[in-house]
Amino acid sequence: MTAATAAAGETAEIVQRAEIDRSCRVPVLAFLASAVFWLLVGTVLALLTSISMHSPHLLPAWSWLTFGRIRPAHLNTVIYGWASMAGIGVVLWLEARLCRVRLPGQGVLVAAVAVWNVAVAAGTWDILAGRGTSVEWLEFPYHWSFFFAACFVVITVVSLVMFSRRRVSHIYVSQWYLFGSVLWFPFLYLMATTLIHGGIARGVTQAAANWWFAHNVLGLWLTPVGLAAVYYLLPKVLGKPIYSYHLSLLGFWTLALFYNWAGTHHLIGGPIPAWLVTVGIVGSVMMFIPVSTVALNHHLTMRGSFARLKDSPTLRFTVIGAMSYTLVSFQGSLTALRSVNEVVHFTHYTIAHAHLGVVAFFSMVMFGAVYYIAPRLTGREWASARLIKVHFWAAAVGMALYWAPLTWGGIRQGMLMNRADVAFLDVVSYTVPFLWTRTASGILLALGHVAFGVLVWRMLRREGGGRVGPTLFTTPDTDREVRS
Amino acid sequence: MTLVYATIWGAVVLFGVTAVAALAWAVSRGQMQDPADGARSIFDDEEPVGVMTDRFPGDRR
Repeated sequence: MTAATAAAGETAEIVQRAEIDRSCRVPVLAFLASAVFWLLVGTVLALLTSISMHSPHLLPAWSWLTFGRIRPAHLNTVIYGWASMAGIGVVLWLEARLCRVRLPGQGVLVAAVAVWNVAVAAGTWDILAGRGTSVEWLEFPYHWSFFFAACFVVITVVSLVMFSRRRVSHIYVSQWYLFGSVLWFPFLYLMATTLIHGGIARGVTQAAANWWFAHNVLGLWLTPVGLAAVYYLLPKVLGKPIYSYHLSLLGFWTLALFYNWAGTHHLIGGPIPAWLVTVGIVGSVMMFIPVSTVALNHHLTMRGSFARLKDSPTLRFTVIGAMSYTLVSFQGSLTALRSVNEVVHFTHYTIAHAHLGVVAFFSMVMFGAVYYIAPRLTGREWASARLIKVHFWAAAVGMALYWAPLTWGGIRQGMLMNRADVAFLDVVSYTVPFLWTRTASGILLALGHVAFGVLVWRMLRREGGGRVGPTLFTTPDTDREVRS
Repeated sequence: MTLVYATIWGAVVLFGVTAVAALAWAVSRGQMQDPADGARSIFDDEEPVGVMTDRFPGDRR
């Protein structure tokens, strides 16, 4: 190949990737920006919820500030607002990159962003007004479900269209995870909404359906999206292929096989058939297999490159997210054992575990993804390396401060509750200092989120320097310009 | 109620069959061969193996 044709080939690669990124710009940024908005709203609600537990007298005596309303408002804004919208934005961009096609249906995707935002806002308003359903993770009044379902039809169709038009012969492991999530989540959501809000699953059966759904939102929606992002970003940032590709495929298929069964580990000791609980425990413990393959793969890919953590924002967030995935999953598998569960069920340990998953794993991976994706869509660098570092350290230290005291406190709480000679209110008093550390950690996490929000805002306003480097959606000539 | 059972069992069968079919399709199309190729499929001439593609803003390295 002559130099001229080689250069032309390179230019074709840049243009192609640049065109793909450009086609993603409006819909993906719309999802990501909306997600960040809900992150900030959800964080405020989180702080209010945390304060209401140890110092309710500090809050005005308004009905909407009571724990029974503010906690589900927090839960739903961070799951359906932040996590799901960030997840969808990342899914769409990853799929476009992996299929090497332009993102289709931009108009209808932007409409989906608007509709999804309206549904989250209206549903949250309903919860704060006292119209929540009290079904965990399905607290929005069910008529909003149709909105989410309609949006998701769009996402699934767009995904299938891109896949059918793909210009690569190999289906990368991330693509498997993405397809899984995009097909599993709408099914889960529709099924659970119909069974529970449709009044088909009542009483104890409702609890079983509820936790089948809620756990699978973690396992078959958030987890695959997070893992897809790590499997793409880790090697991409490092410039190193995944250590063992076979292992990564094994990890996907075993996740698909085992994760779905785990839901009833939320009901251990509850009034459902023992065999149903045992199935949940077995599924939970079997998760050691996919989680170990993922952990091994990521570690062996990173081996020898840990020094690179100081060079790349995305790498920092992605690696800490991936490590947290391993930790939270191993913790989860052990927590599902009846002997462990006997102690920690109904304690603050469970909340610490949940946040380790959604914050330390999923959110960190999403942060890393946004730090990678946004510059490639706007053609701008992030405005401040210092703010990125503030975000990272606030998030990392904040999460450690969240998890460790609450986990310790929760275990002690459980042990005390199992003693008949200890009064319940004494146990409650015992836990109060840990509720304070939670609020302190929440302030730190909030600081990080604010730094992130400022960065995203400035990125959308294109305040960073021009991007230098091969990946840009203008021609290679103009991307050399750097704003001082 | 029959509709509910039919839907649940139908979904179980559908998802199970789809998963098995997807796995069989992947194997038959050679997706499971050549793990090295698979791992490298996200790289290309402009973003090749050996080159980092992310850094802090303002870092000129």
